[in-house]
Amino acid sequence: MENLFACAMDIGEQMLISGAEVHRVEESISRMCNAFGFIRADVFIITTSMVVTVFDNDGKSLTQTRRINSTSIDYEKLHLLNDLSRRICENKIAPEKIKGETEAIKRKKSYPLWAEFLSYSGIAAVFTLFFGGGLKEAAVSLIIGAIVRLGILLSEKVFTNKIFNKFISSVVVSLLAFVSVKLGIITSVDNVIIGNIMTLIPGLGLTNALRDLFTGDSIAGLLRTIEAVLIALAIAAGYFVVAIGGAVL
Amino acid sequence: MTNFEILQIITGFLGTLGFGILFNVRGVRLLVASIGGLLSWLLFVVLSNFIGSEAVIFFLVSLLVSIFAEIMARILKTPATVFATLSIIPLIPGSSLYYTMAYAFESDLSSFIIKAADTLKLAAALALGIITAITLTKIFFNIFKPKNKAAGK
Repeated sequence: MENLFACAMDIGEQMLISGAEVHRVEESISRMCNAFGFIRADVFIITTSMVVTVFDNDGKSLTQTRRINSTSIDYEKLHLLNDLSRRICENKIAPEKIKGETEAIKRKKSYPLWAEFLSYSGIAAVFTLFFGGGLKEAAVSLIIGAIVRLGILLSEKVFTNKIFNKFISSVVVSLLAFVSVKLGIITSVDNVIIGNIMTLIPGLGLTNALRDLFTGDSIAGLLRTIEAVLIALAIAAGYFVVAIGGAVL
Repeated sequence: MTNFEILQIITGFLGTLGFGILFNVRGVRLLVASIGGLLSWLLFVVLSNFIGSEAVIFFLVSLLVSIFAEIMARILKTPATVFATLSIIPLIPGSSLYYTMAYAFESDLSSFIIKAADTLKLAAALALGIITAITLTKIFFNIFKPKNKAAGK
């Protein structure tokens, strides 16, 4: 029983890390615990922590907590975990196989690094066009996008703070855009910065924040909202630093 | 449709695809999420022929696309977040946010206030659409809930 409970916690933890809403994780865990034969499950989850107590038929209780330090959105993992929890609830999987499968999902790889670089550049370039930029500006965005991804790769090693990383990225974007104008490659920084901002902007965070807020998880929703606002401010701060520097020089 | 609008629809699709890859969406789900991105700007272009207020259009598009996301999530048996967060990416007011910043820096106060209000309005409309879609689908699935699942939560 205790092992199964730990499995349910593992699955929930991984779902949360992969970018699931709090509501979904709470529901999955309590359903899995019911499927394992616990008569009651008290589940409390926010984006950074999980506390679950379950009671079995004899009135014995088990409690486990998990601390979630970092999240990295991975919808493939989320899909597989969701599928696994669904099968557990329908009793379509032997209990002794659950742990192995969770571990297998944990090891699932994301797209290769070059694909990630390509996406960053691509997103920056297409959104430059989307917001009315020309081909030359899109080409500059393409290059800056790749440099930003490289910058994130490096700064993640040095600074573990997500918000500070966004600030650094924003500085890099603005700096390179202003330099491109100085070199005469493009005439205005606007569309290049806008295209690159799209890769940094917390649009996803905000969507998830709203989903949490309005499915009854106010605390988790507020935490996510604050994070999204802070990221937006960090992006603005990065731009300001460069713009002020440019004005002074 | 003007050439620029067609370009926007295509780039909206590609941009969503890019985010899908960043968030490790695979196979048919990547395609559906990207189509959601395409759909959101297509709807925006179509609706802007009939409705003057950008905020109202944003609300309607985000509502329709979020419903699309909820439906596709149920068909493909995957969490709705996957499609809901990706499909509305072309609606994220990145440009308004940038100009708000730029005007703030230039101390162009009246333009700054107009742009800031604009950004907030669009973000609020987007949010309202998402919330309405969640609520509507919840009501719908509470009424038409399959009997065998009535025991869960």
